[in-house]
Amino acid sequence: MDTERILQVENLSKTYGKASNKTEALRGITFDVLKGEFLGIMGASGSGKTTLLNCIATMTTPSSGRIILHGQDLSKFHGTQLSDYRGREIGYLFQEFELLDNMTARENIVLPLSLHGITEKKAESKIQDIASKLEITDVLDKFPSQMSGGQKQRTAAARALISNPDIVLADEPTGALDSQNSKTLMDKLAEINWELDKTIMLVTHDANAASYCTRILFIQDGKLFHEIRRNTKTESTADFYERIVTVMAQLGGGSANVL
Amino acid sequence: MFFKQVYRNAAKNRKGNGLFFGSLVIAIVAFYTLLSLGEQDVMRFLATIEGDAVHKLMLLLPAVYILSLFFVFFLVYFACKYQTDNRRKEFGMYLMLGMKRSRLFSMLFGETLWNSLLSLLVGLPAALFLTEIISLVTVKLVGLGIIGHHFTLSPGAILWTIGGYILVQLLSLIILCISLAHTEPAELLHSDSVKTQLEMSNTKSTISFILGVVLLLFAYYLGLFHLMDLNYATPLLLFSGIVGTFLLYRGLGEVLGKRIRRKRPGAKGLATFTGRQLQENVLHQYSTLAISSLLLLLALSCVSYGISLGHGNARETRSTDFSVFGNEQEIHHLLDEKEIRDIVKTSYPIYLSRTDAKINTDELAKTLREVERGGNIAEYLSCERVISEGSYNDLMQAMGKKKLELSEGQTALFSSMNDGYTFSTLDSALKKGVSIKINGTNYSLLSKLCHDNIVADRAITLSTALIVPDELFSKLATEPDPFCTNITLKDEIINQMGLMQAIQKMDSILSKTGLKYDSYLSGIGRNLFYTVSASYLTIYLGILFLLIANTVIGLKYLIWQRQNKHRYLTLLMLGTGIRELCDSVKKQITVFFSLVLGVAAISSVAAVCSMFSGLTRLPAETSIHTVTTYALIVLTVFIIIEIIYIKIVTRTACREIYSLETEERRDAT
Repeated sequence: MDTERILQVENLSKTYGKASNKTEALRGITFDVLKGEFLGIMGASGSGKTTLLNCIATMTTPSSGRIILHGQDLSKFHGTQLSDYRGREIGYLFQEFELLDNMTARENIVLPLSLHGITEKKAESKIQDIASKLEITDVLDKFPSQMSGGQKQRTAAARALISNPDIVLADEPTGALDSQNSKTLMDKLAEINWELDKTIMLVTHDANAASYCTRILFIQDGKLFHEIRRNTKTESTADFYERIVTVMAQLGGGSANVL
Repeated sequence: MFFKQVYRNAAKNRKGNGLFFGSLVIAIVAFYTLLSLGEQDVMRFLATIEGDAVHKLMLLLPAVYILSLFFVFFLVYFACKYQTDNRRKEFGMYLMLGMKRSRLFSMLFGETLWNSLLSLLVGLPAALFLTEIISLVTVKLVGLGIIGHHFTLSPGAILWTIGGYILVQLLSLIILCISLAHTEPAELLHSDSVKTQLEMSNTKSTISFILGVVLLLFAYYLGLFHLMDLNYATPLLLFSGIVGTFLLYRGLGEVLGKRIRRKRPGAKGLATFTGRQLQENVLHQYSTLAISSLLLLLALSCVSYGISLGHGNARETRSTDFSVFGNEQEIHHLLDEKEIRDIVKTSYPIYLSRTDAKINTDELAKTLREVERGGNIAEYLSCERVISEGSYNDLMQAMGKKKLELSEGQTALFSSMNDGYTFSTLDSALKKGVSIKINGTNYSLLSKLCHDNIVADRAITLSTALIVPDELFSKLATEPDPFCTNITLKDEIINQMGLMQAIQKMDSILSKTGLKYDSYLSGIGRNLFYTVSASYLTIYLGILFLLIANTVIGLKYLIWQRQNKHRYLTLLMLGTGIRELCDSVKKQITVFFSLVLGVAAISSVAAVCSMFSGLTRLPAETSIHTVTTYALIVLTVFIIIEIIYIKIVTRTACREIYSLETEERRDAT
């Protein structure tokens, strides 16, 4: 249904360099993201998946094509509108957490809200809710240097979710975590996606992390070349993982191509 | 290829670090101005009349020069560190590409030498221009038309400036290269890591802060009330002042932390972030803050001291132009000569003599003890000389001042000690109404102190003497002949030729007669010498301290901001606008500078007050009010300079923030 579409990417291209030095990172990608979807983007290094995420996050400007969020073209955003989009409508989860190391977890989480004029006092119940959901209540008054990697990434997730964004963009969020912390984080993200109907777009190399998604887009050389969906009712994450690995092996030459 | 790279890197360094380059140019100007002091008109003039003193001052210059080098070294070291820290990744890359460390260091030395050469090319002409302006202004101000103005170039000063300047540059670079030589390429390539957030325990920090405040207050108390009375006050003051400043800044981080926690629930925008940035800066750099604050305190004290002292000496009044000693008839004969009659307005004998009379000053001493800090003067009070009222009135008349009118049974107290302390103490005691006994007879003392110098040269001082009616003088004096004859030159001659040239003309006539005489010229010379040596050197050091303190604070902030640029990138991603980031940076820089200047300003008010009330004595008629006014003017000028520095640092910091937006987009690819 058209009303369920939260994000539309239309014929998106991104080119770096000029003339003979030209590199095409994205070559006319088109897809939609539906509300409440947990979308994965996978592909080999240099395939353009991070460029795609960065275009959606407005970190980089596409060469052509459109990105439409709730019917609004992102390329038209400037100044305050751009800041509002970044701070309110998207939540971003970085591979290296990117917490401000001189601020406590609580201060980091509340930052996107205070940037838009909402005080910690007003947001207190929201902070507590999200912190308990992500199991970081006991580290709220600690500095990042006093936390484990998993706690840091969950704090970053809380920061990404606090302003109730329409979509959460996660760029290799498990990249700097061990397997146990990766699993905890992905469990929490899946829970949030499921319970809160939160749309998540995840870029990853990791088939394990991707197995939590409901749909995966495979990108190669800047083009969308395959898509798989998980039947959430009948297919477990383990089964979906097998399918992902098979597709990766069949289509890209296995992990050698992915890594 | 190598030289091309050196040239390009040096140009990049200058562009990216205008603040440092500008400070280096000012350092060169300061070096040359100091070293060429002997060649300046005012000093060449002084050397003709106060040769010994000028020689002594010149001997002192190398010490001041070495002290300046020492401080400039810190400035250069921090600036070089700022530049090399910014280029660590680049150095790591060079090493990974196979560049030898020796070649890397040669490249750095080449860049430093090239930039030194350029700053010298800018700084030396600026210094020459400035010294010429100083010479011209001084000549104009003190009316030294006699020697005229010559363009002066001091090759020695140029050589020492170049030598000293290059020496500190190379020395700083050697120290930095030693540390770079021990750093692995991997460490260089990942240089953005910053110290982890560490907080001292609350109790420790609070104790440190409170102890710092208490020690500083104790230092102010010692400086203001006990500097003169206690022998151990000075070392104790220095200790409590310095340790207090360090402890205060050490504990300040936690005080800021508490404030952030208190304000946080209602904070909006980047308020908490700005606060945390400041807190972290204070926590990690408390020693830099303390040193800079102490340097600013030195700068404020030096400059206000120098200006007040210069002002005090410049105020010395001209009582007479010449005092000729010798036989009365010989002097009369001389004054009859036409050449002299044409330029002399008035001449009169000064009757000043020792006395054998018993002068009892017990009541005066008692009153002095009741006056604040009068005990010292009371202890050494004695009146062994008398001056006739008639001669003092002749002096008053020549100066165009009101004559003394001593009534029956009244005398006046005279003192030519021209420091404010003696003057104000004696004057306050006299205002209370005091009398003395001469040979058992009671005489009341005039309620104001007479202090106009009775001879042309201030070198002859009388700590205390009595001005008595002429009749009484003839009874008390053991030497009935005049002490000297004072000569005042005609106003029209002075107006026509200028005071200095008129005095020189008379001087040349008197020098031929073989008579002993003193002239106002030597007084002027001494006056100028004090003004130049004390004011010039203290102001010079003050400006140097100010320059170094500000550059160090500015550079430290910029180094730290660059180390933490990833935070600004994250904030951009979280939807913070560039303008908001710049506002936060502005606030951080303003508060960072204010934290340093605030403590320095409070300490300097106490320091200036204690300097003039305790350590040194002010010239006559220079009140503490004047000194405070000067200190406030200096403080205002300093605040303006601080604002300029804040603006420069803010502009550099904001430029870096703006460049992050581009970097963000570039990195995102």
